[in-house]
Amino acid sequence: MSRIILVCCGTGCLANDSMKVVEALREQIALDRRDAQVQAVIKETGCNGFCENGPIVKIMPDDISYYKVKPADATAIIGSLGGEPVERLLYRGADGKRVKSQHENPFYSPQIKIALRNIGVIDPGDLQDYISRGGYEALKKALSMTPEEIISEVEASGLRGRGGAGFSTGRKWRTAAGYDNFPKYIVCNGDEGDPGAFMDRSILDGDPHSVLEGMAIGALAVGAKEGFLYIRDEYGLALRNVQKAILDAEKAGILGDSVMGGPHSLRLSIVRGGGAFVCGESTALMASIEGRVGEPRAKYIRSVQRGLWDQPTVLNNVETLANIPVIIQDGGSQFARIGTEKSKGTKVFALVGKVKRTGLVEVPMGVSLRHLIYDIGGGIINDRPFKAVQTGGPSGGCIPAHMLDLPVDFDTLTEYGAMMGSGGMIVMDDRSCMVEVARYYVNFLCEESCGKCTPCREGLRHMRDIMTDICEGRGRDGDIELLEALCETLTDSALCALGKSAPNPVLTTIRYFREEYEAHIKRSICPAGVCKSLTSFYIDKDKCMGCSLCKRQCPVGAVSGELKATHAIDGDACISCGGCREVCRFEAVKTTGRCLV
Amino acid sequence: MTIYIEGKACECDKGEYLLDVAQRNGVFIPTLCDHKGLAGQGCCRVCIVEIEIRGWSNVVTSCVYPVEQECKVYVNSDKIMRQRGMILSLLYKRAPESKEIEQMCRFYKTPELPRLKQQGGNRCIMCGLCTRACMALGSGAITTAYRGTEKAIATPYDEPSADCIGCGSCAKVCPTNAIKAEEGQDFRRIWGKTFRLMRCTECGEVIGTPEEIEYTAQKLSMEPAVLCEACRRKKIAAVMAHTYGENE
Repeated sequence: MSRIILVCCGTGCLANDSMKVVEALREQIALDRRDAQVQAVIKETGCNGFCENGPIVKIMPDDISYYKVKPADATAIIGSLGGEPVERLLYRGADGKRVKSQHENPFYSPQIKIALRNIGVIDPGDLQDYISRGGYEALKKALSMTPEEIISEVEASGLRGRGGAGFSTGRKWRTAAGYDNFPKYIVCNGDEGDPGAFMDRSILDGDPHSVLEGMAIGALAVGAKEGFLYIRDEYGLALRNVQKAILDAEKAGILGDSVMGGPHSLRLSIVRGGGAFVCGESTALMASIEGRVGEPRAKYIRSVQRGLWDQPTVLNNVETLANIPVIIQDGGSQFARIGTEKSKGTKVFALVGKVKRTGLVEVPMGVSLRHLIYDIGGGIINDRPFKAVQTGGPSGGCIPAHMLDLPVDFDTLTEYGAMMGSGGMIVMDDRSCMVEVARYYVNFLCEESCGKCTPCREGLRHMRDIMTDICEGRGRDGDIELLEALCETLTDSALCALGKSAPNPVLTTIRYFREEYEAHIKRSICPAGVCKSLTSFYIDKDKCMGCSLCKRQCPVGAVSGELKATHAIDGDACISCGGCREVCRFEAVKTTGRCLV
Repeated sequence: MTIYIEGKACECDKGEYLLDVAQRNGVFIPTLCDHKGLAGQGCCRVCIVEIEIRGWSNVVTSCVYPVEQECKVYVNSDKIMRQRGMILSLLYKRAPESKEIEQMCRFYKTPELPRLKQQGGNRCIMCGLCTRACMALGSGAITTAYRGTEKAIATPYDEPSADCIGCGSCAKVCPTNAIKAEEGQDFRRIWGKTFRLMRCTECGEVIGTPEEIEYTAQKLSMEPAVLCEACRRKKIAAVMAHTYGENE
């Protein structure tokens, strides 16, 4: 019986030398060829989402998953084909037991993969591989449907835009289809810029044809003959794979002058984004495609009416489009069975931060934050207390511990001041300063604001100044109120969604962690011990075991003390880096305000 | 269709911009980055107003808001005054030397906000009207550079631009007089470039830079101008008179 060896060649695994693993496996197969019992084929796949444990190698059809594979492991892997799996490369679960397949892995088992259905299974560079998994069947089906039928199906699915705003995809298509003004365009937004988010990248890297198929179906529905994929230039692998996918699909007669041999034509091309976060905003993105400065415009007239070159334009996010073929193939009502009443289907989240298992996860809408963080993510690193989770990227908000049971869907998150955004989820423990976190995002947005409208350009600058002051011990009475006033101006009168949602991190942290702001301003203390100007470190004599780990960790030699005797920190020499606290296993390193010690 | 701006019934067509409707009906809405000859951009945001449609109220930017249905518009509601005040204060922090912004701040009794830092001596409020004028004229010599808080108006790489024809339109449209065109007896200096000034061959009045005259002539397929506006009229009148009048 032959085996297929799937080697993850997503961006994360590539960085961990997965190409060397591929080469080593190939060499080993060639060496073993003469006396091999089993035939083996190697396939380079897209990202499996569990990047911190990469490179990942899977053996099919045995369904064995190996993690952190080194080139040197090739001999063992090839030698074990058809026999017992290589125990040491299997994933070790929480109970210490090794698990063989992905389905037994707690990171994967609760996931339902729709948008990521093919990723990690197919070779993104191989059109036949996609077709063998039912690819382009949905397009074939769509060609036999009327535009009205396609749109109704998408409407029935309840699919909402995965880029952040959560607008109904079906309704968007219906409006665009209603305009009798040609040419029309379809645009795929692949300008994913949220820090920590990589779901769109993973789809473009690992399953580019699913996005192309989604675009082709959308083009049929609205009557577009030309489409653009706006992909940020930093996504080198995505650009390469999508370009190849377009060429392959055109060569195979799937796209191009005659879509699958029918009367429709569709030309798709890639536009590379120049690295501006704001170009993820639809109108700025379109300005950028047109060759103008990437600045948003007022959206009182929607892009579906007047978008690219003032023509009706449908713009969908990568993940949204990747869902379309499944909806057409299986029916909208099937898709709508998953999720909550108003948020249907699944959502891919980039679960990162202080959780034990980080990576890309696709779960049904409406699961609780607790399920995501504790069941899939395995809880907080070192079992520290959970403090907050930042959802939705820089314009999202921070959700505190008492709201962990909130269901994750578009409307609930918005109701509590955060947002779904593109699905970034940054988990923080008790050693994260919420003021500093908010300052980080304000600073990010300061740099990434286009600077076109006054509230965003000027308001964010002053917000950053005030937040920096607070973090550095120069906060004053009235700062919180001033921040709130600036936030109100941004929310109400900024030009685009970036500006309007920019206050979210500040407003949610004020709302849920006001006492932390007050501690900074009134008591000159950073309770989390993060803001250097407000923090000094000391060692609790009762807890110190004299293990000397902190002493070895300290980069400036500020820790003194003999082995097995209590240690002490020299406040004058200490640079407040917090290294000692990180390594201490006895919670002996404590923090206090700057002026008190 | 009829909309009510500050209680005043105003007739308008569907799709007309709210600011235009207000101005036509004599209702004052403050503006900075608006210019009749150029499409609205909604940059400065002092023209924000509150609109109420079927009981739902919303803040919109009147220069780019197309009226689609009947609504009530409040130009100076409490909310708008608070926001506009904040926006003007922010602009004043950026352009503390601008007399225009100072006056508006006084008029709207904006908060002083001593806590916020000033940007430093400047008059520019970054509305970008100058770049739009330059683009509309077709030379595109200046544009916005960088983004976010670092945004600036500049020629490419801050070098004297080959495309600049020294027409000074940028300076003329600037709402805060932030662009300096230094003018002497026979030269004009703007954006780091010095231009000669051409004078009317009849009366000696300044008629522009050679580049500007050449550019206009090329665009209109005409001979480059040599006369000022007044002398040109006189000359045309004389030709007319010669052709149709006194000769007979």
